[in-house]
Amino acid sequence: MTTPSGENNSIDLNRFNQVFFEECAENLAEMEQILISLGDREPDQEQMNAIFRAAHSIKGGAGIFGFNDMTVVTHVMESLLDRLRNQEIPFAPGMIDLFLEAGDAISMQLAWHREGKPVDQEAIDGVRAKLQQTIDAGAPAPVPADAPKEGTPLSPEELLPRRCRLAFTPDPEIFARGIRMESIVAELTELAEPGEFDCHAQLMEVPEFAELDPERCLTRWDFTLLTRASREQILDVFMFVADEEQLCIEEEPVDRRTKAAEPAPEQGVIPAAGRRAYDNGETAPGAFGRRGGEIESSIRVNVTKVDQLVNQVGELLITQAMLTQIAAGLDPILHQALQRGLVQLERNTRDLQGSVMSIRLVPISIVFSRFPRLVREIAAKLGKQVELKTTGDSTELDRGLIEKIADPLGHLVRNALDHGLETPEKRVACGKNPMGTLQLSASQVGGRIVIDVTDDGAGLNRDRILAKALECGIPCSEAMSDEEVWPLIFAPGFSTASEVTDISGRGVGMDVVLKNVQGIGGRVQIASEAGKGARFTISLPLTLAILEGLSVAIGKEKFIIPLNVVIESLQPKAEQLKSVNGREVVQVRGEYLPILKLHRIFNLEAEVTEPQRGILVLVEADGERGAILVDALLDEQQVVVKSIETNYRQVEGSAGATILGDGRVALILDLPELFAMHKRL
Amino acid sequence: MQTAHGSAVEQLTAEGGAEYLTFTLGGESYGLDILKVQEIRGYDCVTRIANTPAFIKGVINLRGVIVPIVDLRIKFNMGEVTYHEFTVVIIINVLNKVVGIVVDGVSDVVALPPQSIKPAPELGASLDTRYITGLGTLNDEMLILVDIEKLIGSDELQIVDSTAENTQKEAVNL
Repeated sequence: MTTPSGENNSIDLNRFNQVFFEECAENLAEMEQILISLGDREPDQEQMNAIFRAAHSIKGGAGIFGFNDMTVVTHVMESLLDRLRNQEIPFAPGMIDLFLEAGDAISMQLAWHREGKPVDQEAIDGVRAKLQQTIDAGAPAPVPADAPKEGTPLSPEELLPRRCRLAFTPDPEIFARGIRMESIVAELTELAEPGEFDCHAQLMEVPEFAELDPERCLTRWDFTLLTRASREQILDVFMFVADEEQLCIEEEPVDRRTKAAEPAPEQGVIPAAGRRAYDNGETAPGAFGRRGGEIESSIRVNVTKVDQLVNQVGELLITQAMLTQIAAGLDPILHQALQRGLVQLERNTRDLQGSVMSIRLVPISIVFSRFPRLVREIAAKLGKQVELKTTGDSTELDRGLIEKIADPLGHLVRNALDHGLETPEKRVACGKNPMGTLQLSASQVGGRIVIDVTDDGAGLNRDRILAKALECGIPCSEAMSDEEVWPLIFAPGFSTASEVTDISGRGVGMDVVLKNVQGIGGRVQIASEAGKGARFTISLPLTLAILEGLSVAIGKEKFIIPLNVVIESLQPKAEQLKSVNGREVVQVRGEYLPILKLHRIFNLEAEVTEPQRGILVLVEADGERGAILVDALLDEQQVVVKSIETNYRQVEGSAGATILGDGRVALILDLPELFAMHKRL
Repeated sequence: MQTAHGSAVEQLTAEGGAEYLTFTLGGESYGLDILKVQEIRGYDCVTRIANTPAFIKGVINLRGVIVPIVDLRIKFNMGEVTYHEFTVVIIINVLNKVVGIVVDGVSDVVALPPQSIKPAPELGASLDTRYITGLGTLNDEMLILVDIEKLIGSDELQIVDSTAENTQKEAVNL
């Protein structure tokens, strides 16, 4: 049994660790993003600083939280970055890859701490050694030591000890940011020659005792140290602690003969003019992590809390629908106030639902941003030249979908690079630009999100697919149209065994892609033209949780037709009804649409079996149109999508279920599946 | 009463015994592990699902969760099946799934020491021997102990989608 206090401690620590993990992951992602964006260019000062900052934050955080193994690589990396930043080492394109590798090593260590995934210690040591090698190889020729000019720092060994006086005027909120003066003092002591460090604290302004807030820092600090460290090294101590105006550094080279002499105390030290007044709530400029100007006001919330909120709003919607249904049976004149209240309630619930759903929406750039690196590495491995273009990065979709779509997309991207795009030589021979293009685009079309993976490669090879399908025993024939041939690659067991490479074809087939996408209510379509390229289109529902639906009655059963597929509904006249090959169709504005009789597809007892006595709901899904015969239209309402598969298997023809106002379950129709079922009848 | 009952259970658990919920199907008495039972409720408001075997009655809304209902009486061909206000549904929780089973009636909760459970002989019950863990004896009456987890997970009932179970369960579990 753990004592309550012991338990609390571990929980608290865990929570802080979690914050570190998240920040560390963010820093790594930021670093990678910058590195990738560079291509082979040399980073400019700002980018260099950003990379350095990320590495430094990781190192600092890892040190504080006791993940000492993580500081090892970051430390060497930081050293190299520092030298680069100070132009002590010339930039080389290979360094980008090296930094990416280092980032991977840190990610691996992070994963180990976070999820207990195994660490490849050899790889980490390797990266570290390579970084160190780069530093050693690039070490500059010794620079004359008597010119410690600002901006041209020297390696510490080359500097003569000199006396530095630092006047540090922190902003009052410094403690609130978790900065501890003793660690600064400790770091400075390390930089100083043994015994040559002196520290004074001065009160700047003493408030009335009643107003004294012990968590505000009202002291000014003066440090005097004899050091061989460069100005940059000293500044690094104050990184994330102070910006330039809060720190005043006075350096004075010490001649060996006058070494013992104390400098005149008044000599030109101008302390930062008093303490700057920061109003409560005003953020000290650029102080925190020196990210001045990009302060985003956001909070971190546990995902399960958001999910809980979504669920609760879902329940609220059901309750609201129930109330509306009950009120519909009441005399509207007697219960006018109630009706008004219910209308208000409906509006409020919808607003609330909209707001809650928007919390879950995240931009797809989160997924897209993984691909530049993937593409870069695979292209390099395959000797192909590929340009990756992304559009619609800001398209938002449900967080749950984002996580589920990343793997299938990655698979499609790898496939396009491996099988789709040709080598530069081949492309030139075909009269194409040697640089292949891979385009990722996302957009919202109606109630769905459409993601395209387009390449301008060779396209799908019809003959090879047919041959392979035949080989694998998948039913097919030469007479099939292209649109029927392409989906063959999704068949389970359609293996590309003869062309296994380490990029794609690791035994994970396209069937898995399709299954994963279908698992989240999506579909995959393929368009391909030989020699011109291929396009894989994934279409996903905007959110999995709530949907606008039209409830219809068939016999005693109620069904929900998703509103985004409904075009119109009509009562057909006898002359509109025709028969083609024994199948009933309805003529609407010159177009013949097949009639889907739900009672026949679902084996139900319907009141209406003749189209002219019922209502036809015209629908369009995946480019296919049809007319669904129903007994009556009931209501247009928002329904909360519930999974049937949680406790049961997948139900053909339904995309889930919902709970109606009366507490009964109604199935939500899946139109593409219905079309397929209709064709089999 | 309750405390006495509780201590009896503790004693039994220590001996490796367990408690069983007994129910009747046709003329036979069955028992299933009480720990798998979530609740017992009446039979109403079942929404049919198309193109499913007759013993899948449909799904119900159990406080916001969609739960399939299996009528074991139909599955195991036990005479005339009627539904009235006394028809009982046992909601069980196995394999991370919540499933309701329709039975003729629920009788009791009994504790069976392990030594009173005998292996099931071939045949004898309408239920396949595969789904029977043993035969218990209680007051000279035979109790057929059902391995409900195996039964629900079986291909025969088609409740668990053996092929695409995992991905879909996670994906739409919102």
